[in-house]
Amino acid sequence: MIEVKGLSKAFGEKEVLKQISADFEAGVTSLVIGASGSGKSTLARCLVGLIEPDEGEVLYDGRDFVHMTAKERKTVRKEIGFLFQGSALFDYFTVRENVRFPLDILTDLSSKEKEMRVDSVLERVELTEAHALYPSELSGGMKKRVGIARAISPKPRYLFCDEPNSGLDPQTSIIIDALIQEITKENEMTTLVITHDMNSVIEIGEYIMFIHYGEKWWEGTNQEIMETDNKEILDFVNASGMMTRKRM
Amino acid sequence: MASFLFHLGRYFILMWRAFSRPEKLSIYRRRLLDEMVSLGLDSLGIIMVISVFMGAVITIQTGANIDSAFIPTYTIGFATRQSTILEFSPTIMALILAGKIGSNIASEIGLMRVTEQIDALEIMGVNSSAYLILPKITAAVLISPFLVIISMFVSIGGGYLIAMFTDVVSVANYEFGLQLDFRMYHVVYALSKSAVFAFIFTSVPSYQGYYASGGALEVGKASTRGVVQSSIIILAVNYLITQIFLI
Repeated sequence: MIEVKGLSKAFGEKEVLKQISADFEAGVTSLVIGASGSGKSTLARCLVGLIEPDEGEVLYDGRDFVHMTAKERKTVRKEIGFLFQGSALFDYFTVRENVRFPLDILTDLSSKEKEMRVDSVLERVELTEAHALYPSELSGGMKKRVGIARAISPKPRYLFCDEPNSGLDPQTSIIIDALIQEITKENEMTTLVITHDMNSVIEIGEYIMFIHYGEKWWEGTNQEIMETDNKEILDFVNASGMMTRKRM
Repeated sequence: MASFLFHLGRYFILMWRAFSRPEKLSIYRRRLLDEMVSLGLDSLGIIMVISVFMGAVITIQTGANIDSAFIPTYTIGFATRQSTILEFSPTIMALILAGKIGSNIASEIGLMRVTEQIDALEIMGVNSSAYLILPKITAAVLISPFLVIISMFVSIGGGYLIAMFTDVVSVANYEFGLQLDFRMYHVVYALSKSAVFAFIFTSVPSYQGYYASGGALEVGKASTRGVVQSSIIILAVNYLITQIFLI
């Protein structure tokens, strides 16, 4: 479980996050949604320590990440998997090497155990055939799946996905969403998805937090978001065309 | 001035982090070997080509400028050896490597920065500066003296070819000049200098790449800055080293 308490961040005069508080439960796919520039990616970066918040607490199962020493943070970071918007795969590694890399760095598994783990993770994301390819040889959807495989290979307790569907066609987005949700359930992970894709909201949003200009504006489930009369949410949902579209 | 101090301070902090204790030595060992191949062996061709021509040109130029009958022709061999060992091989090679390796390092690390690969390393708990920069610096500092030794031999060999195939100087006089008043200290000085230059042409572009932001255009600019700055620093440090250790 990740608890966020009164998190604030400003860049110069501009307040990007204003007193955000939320609880993200284990085994639940939580979504942070909002328009571009609303502060959702900054929130994710503050949660994993890529950006230092100005104020507030981030508790990973009770451990205060913000006020930890660098050494203590390293321990928590070993339990975090992160899927980047652009996948952030290492160009000079093959798919297999990318997935194996966190195991080499973070675990003391034997070489055979690492290979077995890589094989099982690649099988899970259906990329066994592509194990010898380099990132430049992969499609956008395949890159995302390798990104997921790399994120989950060390069996993290917390999974962050930053815009997992950006740049993907609707069909591939469904596959990626389903994969994230299944993995979350299978491993009882605390999963946080940053997105502005309303299809994902409906499909996998068990807990949804809507951020508007850096403030937590609304929270609820995917059922509740369709019934809310909150103006900003309605604008966001309507702008996505969700009311007029239905997913296959 | 404030900006200069800011960058200087940030450069030293980055170097401090880069030289901190590695997470897993086995990973770094593998990276070090890869970097030695990519920075060292891949530069061998260009170094040999440039060295042979430079040696030949130094020999011809020296020969062409010795008019006086009082200056013996073996001076040509002596001048070729001295300029090759003291300046050409360590300094000019460092400038050439700053262009070749420096731009490569800055653009590689810069691209990793803008495509969030460095963030990915940080989230995994990896000290990204140590993982990316330390093997490059170590590889360059270790391999550079060997490249300089090769450059010295090839350059002097270039002059030898001129002695063999032209009338600029006889082979016997060229060989005599090469051996005249040889001091091992000069070779040690040149190799030490090359190690310092290797540190500069890897660390400065690494710094530029590491703090690149934006897109391809900014990475290109960071790469150019890395090459220009490391070249200028190499020349300035060369002056200091010469002043301190040779005068």
